[in-house]
Amino acid sequence: MSWLSRLTPRGPGGRSSRNVASSSPCTADPETCLMVFENHWRQLSWVLEQQEPSGCSDDLTAVRNHTDQMLCLLAEERPGEVGEGPPGTLTSGNVPPVGPILGLVVTENVLERVVQWHLRRGLDPDSQGALLKLFEMLIGQSQQPLLQHKAVLQPLLGLLGACAEPQLGCPPSLENSLVLLLNQICVSMARAPAVLELLFRSAPAQHGPTNLLIFSLLVPFIHRDGAIGQQARDALLLVMATSASNQGVARYIAENSYFCPVLATGLSALYSSLPRKIEVRGDDWHALRREDWMGVSSLVLFMNSLEFCNAVIQVAHPLVRSQLVDYVHNGFLVPVMGPALHKSSVDEMIASTAYLDLFLRSVTETALLKTFLRFILMHRHDNDTILDTLLTRVSSNSRLCMVSLSLFRTLLSLNCEDLMLQLVLRYLLPCTHVMLSQRRAVRDTDLYGKSADKFLSLIPECCRLSVLPSAEREEEPAFWGKVLNSPSSESPVHPKPSTPSRLALFMRQQSTALPFTPSPTETVPSSPRGGPSTPLSPDSPMHPVPEGLDWESGYLEYLRDARRGVELCSWACRNWSAPYDGEDPSPNTAPLPPPPPTSNPSLAMFPEHFSFQQGGGGGGGGSTSPGQQRAAVVAAARSEWSSTERDRGEWDVTIGKNNCTISLTPRTKKRSLQREEVPLPKPLHLPPDSTSASVPDPSAAPHLPSGPSIDPHQAIFNGTSSGSQVDGCPDSRDGGMEVKKVKRDLDEQQQHGDSSQNVAVGASPTPVPTPAQSCGPLQGLHREGNGSVTGENSRRLTSHVQSHTQDQPAPWTPASCANSSNVNLTPQVSGSGPPEAMLSTQSEAVERLISELLDGAGPGEGGQQGPGDSNGQGISIEAFTQELRELEERVRERSRGVGLLRQLEETTRDPDSEEPLPPSPLDADLTGTGAGVEPKAVGLFSPSRPLGQPSAQPYTGPFMVVLFAKLENMLQNSLYVNILLTGILCQLACYPQPLLRSFLLNTNMVFQPSVKSLIQVLGSVKNRIEVFAASHEDFPGMLRKAQRYLVARGKVDWADSSPMGVPTLRRSDSLVKSRKPSLGDLIMRHTNSPTRARHAAQLALAHVRDGGQSLHSALFRGGTGGGASGLEKQVEALRVKNAVYCAVIFSEFLKELAALAQEHAVSMPFLQSHDTEE
Amino acid sequence: MNLNPFWSMSTNTGRKRSDCEEQSGEQQQQRASPARPSFGKKQLPSIPKNAVPITKPASPAATAQLANGTHASYGPFYLEYSLLAEFTLVIKQKLPGIYVQPSYKSALMWFGVIFIRHGLYQDGVFKFTVYIPDNYPDGECPRVVFDIPVFHPLVDPVSGELDVRRAFTKWSSVPHGLFLQLDSDTALRNHNHIWQVLMYARTVFYKINTMEPLNPEAAVLYDKDVQLFKSKVIDSVKLCNSHLFDQPKMDDPYAISFSSWNPAIHDEAKERMFSHKRRPEDHHKGLQVSGLSWVKPGSTQPFSKDDNPPLS
Repeated sequence: MSWLSRLTPRGPGGRSSRNVASSSPCTADPETCLMVFENHWRQLSWVLEQQEPSGCSDDLTAVRNHTDQMLCLLAEERPGEVGEGPPGTLTSGNVPPVGPILGLVVTENVLERVVQWHLRRGLDPDSQGALLKLFEMLIGQSQQPLLQHKAVLQPLLGLLGACAEPQLGCPPSLENSLVLLLNQICVSMARAPAVLELLFRSAPAQHGPTNLLIFSLLVPFIHRDGAIGQQARDALLLVMATSASNQGVARYIAENSYFCPVLATGLSALYSSLPRKIEVRGDDWHALRREDWMGVSSLVLFMNSLEFCNAVIQVAHPLVRSQLVDYVHNGFLVPVMGPALHKSSVDEMIASTAYLDLFLRSVTETALLKTFLRFILMHRHDNDTILDTLLTRVSSNSRLCMVSLSLFRTLLSLNCEDLMLQLVLRYLLPCTHVMLSQRRAVRDTDLYGKSADKFLSLIPECCRLSVLPSAEREEEPAFWGKVLNSPSSESPVHPKPSTPSRLALFMRQQSTALPFTPSPTETVPSSPRGGPSTPLSPDSPMHPVPEGLDWESGYLEYLRDARRGVELCSWACRNWSAPYDGEDPSPNTAPLPPPPPTSNPSLAMFPEHFSFQQGGGGGGGGSTSPGQQRAAVVAAARSEWSSTERDRGEWDVTIGKNNCTISLTPRTKKRSLQREEVPLPKPLHLPPDSTSASVPDPSAAPHLPSGPSIDPHQAIFNGTSSGSQVDGCPDSRDGGMEVKKVKRDLDEQQQHGDSSQNVAVGASPTPVPTPAQSCGPLQGLHREGNGSVTGENSRRLTSHVQSHTQDQPAPWTPASCANSSNVNLTPQVSGSGPPEAMLSTQSEAVERLISELLDGAGPGEGGQQGPGDSNGQGISIEAFTQELRELEERVRERSRGVGLLRQLEETTRDPDSEEPLPPSPLDADLTGTGAGVEPKAVGLFSPSRPLGQPSAQPYTGPFMVVLFAKLENMLQNSLYVNILLTGILCQLACYPQPLLRSFLLNTNMVFQPSVKSLIQVLGSVKNRIEVFAASHEDFPGMLRKAQRYLVARGKVDWADSSPMGVPTLRRSDSLVKSRKPSLGDLIMRHTNSPTRARHAAQLALAHVRDGGQSLHSALFRGGTGGGASGLEKQVEALRVKNAVYCAVIFSEFLKELAALAQEHAVSMPFLQSHDTEE
Repeated sequence: MNLNPFWSMSTNTGRKRSDCEEQSGEQQQQRASPARPSFGKKQLPSIPKNAVPITKPASPAATAQLANGTHASYGPFYLEYSLLAEFTLVIKQKLPGIYVQPSYKSALMWFGVIFIRHGLYQDGVFKFTVYIPDNYPDGECPRVVFDIPVFHPLVDPVSGELDVRRAFTKWSSVPHGLFLQLDSDTALRNHNHIWQVLMYARTVFYKINTMEPLNPEAAVLYDKDVQLFKSKVIDSVKLCNSHLFDQPKMDDPYAISFSSWNPAIHDEAKERMFSHKRRPEDHHKGLQVSGLSWVKPGSTQPFSKDDNPPLS
């Protein structure tokens, strides 16, 4: 009810200063007032009774003056004839006696006559405004309830009716007054709900179908910017709340008003004005936080409306609620969000994914959340669910991956059974992934710490810095008997003698806020409540004591964290329909989960999702092949770096060891700690002849492990080389990580790039276009049309809206959409451009229209500002011209890109480099090191999956597969990907369902040979880290520095966490929050003022970030020389940096997993909530 | 022959109540213990304000971990968590009429009380202590010692120790056939567990076994002169119950002690006990942990539930 409570301060009390009317002798005693009033009335009625209302301005002036005075007196009058104490103002129920002035007003029907006089005379905007203000003053300030009186209500409705009339309407200049008046009416109504009934009843005679006049007048302002929109939304919300128990009004709202369609489809219009590309600030950016979007006006606008939707659903009558939810689904999610998520350019994918994530985090109402989830899980865009599409993005190698991971984190945090079922559980339900004999072990917990021990044993030796002192320190915690004090014993009273919480990694230490404090004894609160601190091992660089201390202790913190995670998760899952323990639901009756993409090309993980845009309006009549679209992505990515950043100095070049990515990142930005990686999707293993739609696109899914391996090429690969690569992970990426390889990668990349480009440009044989595809653009356009029209609706509700909006619950068939959009669009389109039949033109016109509408919606009335920042690209439409332009662009970019790559290759060429590499991608893959990772991943996950019989093998689902593949590749992942990734796995490991728990945490479980277990993946990562460490003498030093850097960075992350639960790049941000109240308060206290908040954040964090930055760059700067050696050093430096960070994260991750395994063994289930509901 | 309704048992925490006992005359109360507003939780109790933690050297198990070098510091966690897990299992089993509470000083010592509902030992309330070997879980089976030696063939008349070993000839091996797995949820195929010992301690009073007795007199009487045996048992029960309000044998903050019903203390505690709803420790309202589910029970299809879920 936050919305409602927010409204209260806006009551009439605060408005008195805005007294419209001139000062009047209102302080006099009641009798004098009455006399004055009567006097005015006599004179006024004389004027009113003039038979022919001359246009004489004298009359008008007289009427106005008298009315002002009289209404002022009326407003000041206290109820009850005797001035007995402070009148009980507006207590509904017992009606206080009517004051004499009001009595006169009622008997003489003063207001009605005044209004009628004005109306007869013809209402000019000036008097209209004056009347609006007068009534607003009257209702806002009256000391006694007025609206109950027909003599007040009728003229008011008469005036409002005039405002609703098409010929008169309400001029824009009066909108503020109108909304304010309506707002006042609603506030009064909320106090005296009977008024609603009166309003509802009294109108129909005069106003036909729109019998809740205040309502239909407010609806057009729903999406307005600024105060007026807020007032309108507040007012509407009051109506909603008041009518929540009134079936009649609710039915009226649902059936006779445009409220729901306008609200929901207005979201579509607002969405279309959101930036297509999110300007990214830092290398770690992965989700929209409040401070990110507070500055983006279009996003603020959208979020206001979304929050309003949420609030309406919270308070409204069930009828209205369910209608609104349906409209959100059919009018926003399906037609707009769906195509937006399937846009072809990486930028747009990133943006739409981040938006979806933000929306999910903002929605709190269960019904609305359900709609979003249903959309994500069930809606099929083309053939794939949104979920499928999102899953494929995780395997990408860019910010897209991070944004997608972030979205999944949000999803997982909902603890939604339906989601978990689709994502993981349905694949585990049949229990085919475990050996038959092991099925009963599914429910085992880690009773004796065996699994925990196993996890901890995987911490690479090289990461255990100075174990010895830490073992000594362990005596310090008070053992409970032989046993440690319970980590989460909750008594806040007594000092908790826990292990010093020195989990420096994820900044669990306040003291490290000043990373370079020379203080030798830093302290940290050992409990969230700030219990006595235990002396910390010095963490500052000034203190040359072994730093490893911090890293071996602090396990208690992880246990505490894990306990909290497990407890919250199992509490949240207490209402699930089944325990998922391997017996219920029964493995035998469980429906077979969808097979891996191998046998289901439509699920093929990455290539497909680019083709979605066909449905969204991308392809020109099905003429775009997946190849083309893939190429478009490549082009987009290339153009990104080549055009924007190319000429700007230094570069960070990452060349994935796996031969999958090249990231070129400019060194010019100062702020980012690690440069933003611009993904350069690189078609890699795409053989020239592979044109089938199900060929995995390595450019897009570089690490895709379970990539659809129907592709003969991959199948061959599996068959031939998986044997050697399945397990031992023969880390050939040891010391021999030379530039030679880099060059080799480049070489291959270029070749493959070429080949795939060829494929793409050569318009490979397209799969038969589905009906959806062929009508895609059209459909998209019309959807857009609808969105825009509603945008327009929201500005001024015109009569054709109804015909249009009533189509909306129906499926968005092209035909119906075409009709409605044509009807509605014609005037505007023809106004803004030549009415050409060209789709493109029209779509642009639509676009422009939308943005114009939205721009105009602002109070500034900046009418004809063109497409502006939301420039011409259609949000869901990409018409022929656009397509063509992209094609051209692509070709251009390709040559440019190739040129650049060549250049790069030359610069990196070693003097002693040998012969050119074999051109065949197949050979390239098999040659090993360079191309190792991805194929290996494939091999790992489908080592024995032969060509013909795919579905016989147990399959743990795309989510697990992609997460494990990412994890296996940890050494190459960027720090931030790894933090997100391990965070998600920990989130999953919190779930108490035995099926999932055993799959992740039971290290003794025996799986089917083809099923990769987490412990296997971790084992292979461990090996790689050890190999890496062995090849770098200074590894310990780097490791320590990396740890220290992460501590400093953790501060920033923590501070960034906002009260909305916005994710940070921290796993246990909540824990952090609880432990670090001061700094968070400092920042969050300012949330009401976005600018101040941001400022505060900057102030508070500047030094930290800077400190981190300088330290960081000092650590890992790979040398700054230009030319060949500089470049290659940078490549190497990046590689080393990722690996060192990986080693840090990996060790901590293992502790987290171990702690989770232990906590599961001691967790108690919660009761279902229907008998324990609060 | 009912229990004195004014008895109350007070203990601090860690109680599980079985469904069947709520109707019985026992009135158990939770003493308003310091800083322990909730109970039935899995975690071991916290330390009262006035108590000084006693630090003991690390257990042999932990030292063993230390000795072999790796992840040495985690050793103690394993032991504590194993015992915590055992305790959690006990709670989950909901053993009828049995209550245990790990001691404050050591997780290896648990205080317990057992209520006998029918049979020869009806109305008996026997306090006992469970001693867990410190090389748990690899050692021998835990020992159960009654505070007052109950007259029973398997209870040592002097020390009060129950012959547990006969039922667990090889601890940590396949469970004795006597014990059915009450709740397969715990998946106990390969290990014995402390709850089984407690279960055994209860069973002993319902099914008398006279083979190889620790108290030969009782065994002989049971076989030869049941009437005399019965009367001796009644005497023994009376004796035990008459000492119920004695100070606990052990001086431990978490020792189970009985006191007579004091409405001022116990009424409120009882009220809380029955109304208590366990929640996550730091669960606060704003948290988005609504536990969303629209899956119809029995179905594995998402959104299969009818559209008006009783959710929130």
